[in-house]
Amino acid sequence: MGMTNSASEPTALIRAQGLTKVFGARSAVDGIDFEVRDGEFFGFLGPNGAGKTTTMRMIAGVSPRTSGTLEIFGQDPDLHGSEIRGQIGVVHQQETLDMELTVRENLLIFGRFFGMERAAIATRADELLELFQLSDRAKDQVEPLSGGMKRRLSIARSLIASPRILMLDEPTTGLDPQARHLLWDALQRLKRGGTTIVLTTHYMDEAEQLCDRLVVMDQAKIVAEGSPRQLIVEHASREVLELRFPNGTESIDVKVLEGIGDRYERLAERVIIGCENGEAAHARALEHGLDPESWLVRRSSLEDVFLRLTGRTLDE
Amino acid sequence: MTAASSVAPNRTRSRLAAIREAAPHPTRWRHVVAYMISVYRREWQGSVFSGFIEPLVVLAGLGIGLGVLVGDKAAEITGGVSYVAYIAPALMASSAMNLATSEAAWPILARVAWVRIYHAMVATPLNAADVMVGAIAFIVGKVAFAAAFFAGVLLVTGIATSPTGALGMLGISVLTAFAFGAPMAAFSVTQKSDQGFAFLFRLIITPLGFFSGTYFPIENLPFAAQVLSWCTPLAHGVALSRSLALGTPVTYVWFHVGALLLWGIAGSIAAIYLFRKRMLK
Repeated sequence: MGMTNSASEPTALIRAQGLTKVFGARSAVDGIDFEVRDGEFFGFLGPNGAGKTTTMRMIAGVSPRTSGTLEIFGQDPDLHGSEIRGQIGVVHQQETLDMELTVRENLLIFGRFFGMERAAIATRADELLELFQLSDRAKDQVEPLSGGMKRRLSIARSLIASPRILMLDEPTTGLDPQARHLLWDALQRLKRGGTTIVLTTHYMDEAEQLCDRLVVMDQAKIVAEGSPRQLIVEHASREVLELRFPNGTESIDVKVLEGIGDRYERLAERVIIGCENGEAAHARALEHGLDPESWLVRRSSLEDVFLRLTGRTLDE
Repeated sequence: MTAASSVAPNRTRSRLAAIREAAPHPTRWRHVVAYMISVYRREWQGSVFSGFIEPLVVLAGLGIGLGVLVGDKAAEITGGVSYVAYIAPALMASSAMNLATSEAAWPILARVAWVRIYHAMVATPLNAADVMVGAIAFIVGKVAFAAAFFAGVLLVTGIATSPTGALGMLGISVLTAFAFGAPMAAFSVTQKSDQGFAFLFRLIITPLGFFSGTYFPIENLPFAAQVLSWCTPLAHGVALSRSLALGTPVTYVWFHVGALLLWGIAGSIAAIYLFRKRMLK
C-alpha cells in the first residue's frame, strides 16, 4: 500500500492496474493498466470520448475511481489527494484562468494555493514569465491575450510550485500551427529539465513528436502501448499508399485490394494500403485495373496504427 | 501479528485518511480568502456603493420620508423611539443579508461555471471543502467591513446608544451574513446559469426584507406568517440587532443566535457537499 515504497519500483511515478471509472451505466475507463516513469514524456492518444480526460482526472485526484488500483508517488489519490496534488501541475483543456487578475497575479495567487512563501512565489513567477515569453504582458489583464498566450500562462501557472509531474489535457486543441509549435518547444525544454510530462491528445502528430511512450485508447480501453516508433513497427507497415476514389470505394473487389499490399483499410472515399514499398504497390494497383483520382505514398504514422487497431480514423 | 488483526487497523486508517481528504483543512482556506481579496482589490469601487452607500440611502429615504408619514403613530409600534432609530438596526441586518446573498450568487457561480477557476483550485493542494470554506469566510468578512461602516454611522448619529451595542450589532450582521451566505453558496454551486437567482431573489430575499420585522413588528403579521418568518434567518438578525441598538433587553438571545448559527452551519455543510459533488465527478 501507500506506506511502503520498497514494493514499488522507484522509477514509476504513476501506476494503474485495472483502473476503472463508471458513470451510471457507462464505463468511461474500463480496466486499464499503465505506468508512467520518472522523467518521461507519456501520452494518452485517442479520439474524443475514449476516456483520456477521465483518466487524467483520476490521476490528478479530482475524480475518485470506481475500482482498480492507482498509485501516484506510491500513494493512493483517494487517501492522499492533497499531498499528491501538491506535486502535480494540471493544465485543463478549457481555460481556468482568472480574468479579473493580471497575468502575474494569476501566478502569484496560485503559488499561495500550494502553500509557498511569498518571496519564493515572486521569484518563481518572474522566472516562468520569462520562460514562457510573457514578461512584457505581466501587468496586463488575461482576457485580451491570444489563445496561445493564455495556454502558455496556464502551463506557467501549473508549474509555479515546480511539480514533479505536469499533466496536460489536449494542450494544443484550438491553437494555430505557430502557437502549437511554440508550445511543443516549451514542453520539450521542460522535459529536458527533468519534469515528467503526461499529456492527452487526439493529434497523432503531437503524440509522435513529443511522446517517449504512449498508450492508444479507444472506447475506454487501452488498445496498444509503446514508443511511437515501436507502435508503428508493430502495428503498421513501413509505407502507406493512399488511393482516393471520390465516387466511393464499395465497388472495389476485395481480392484486388488484398493483392496490392500487406494489408488494407477501406474508408468511404479512400483506400489505405500498408506495404513495404508504396511506389511498387501503386504500380500493382494500376495493373489490377484500379483508377484512383489521386494517390500518395507516405511513411506510416500513428494514425495508421490507430486505423489498424480500431478500423476508424482518429477524428471520426 | 495475524492477518485479521493487521487488516482492521489498516482499514480504519484508510477511512480516516479518506475523511481527512474530504474535510476542510484547518488553515488552507486562508489562501482562498487571499485570492478573493486580490480580486476585490481591483473592483472595490463597485461594491462600495452596494455595500456601504446603498443601505444608508435606503435608511435616509425610508427613515426620514416614511418617518414623517408615520409621524406620531410611530411611537405605538416602536415603543417610543423615532422611526429612523427603529428601522436603522434592522436595515443593517437586512443589508447584511442582501450583500451576503449577492456575493454568494454571481461570484460563486462564475467561478464554478463560467471562468471555471474553481476547477483549477481543486487541482491544487486545496480540496473542495477548503474552497467553499474560504469563499464563505470571504463573504462574511466583506459584510463585516460594510457593517462596521454602517455601525459607525449609527454610533455617530446617536441611533446606536452605546459602542458596545454597535459592536454587538456588528457581530449580529456577521452572523446574519453567515446564515445567508452559506446556504446561498450551496444553491449557487448547483446552478448552470444565473436564471435561478432571479427567482430566488424575487421570491425569497426581497420579501424577507419586508416580513422579518424590518419596517414593522412581526407581531402585526398573521400567525402563520409569523411562524414562517421565525423559520428564516433575517427575523432573528433583526430582533437582535434592534435590541442591541436601542439598548432594550435582549430576549431569547440563544434562540436567535442559535437559529442564525444553524442556518450558517447547515448551509456550509450543504455547500461543501454539493460543491464536492459537482467538482469531483
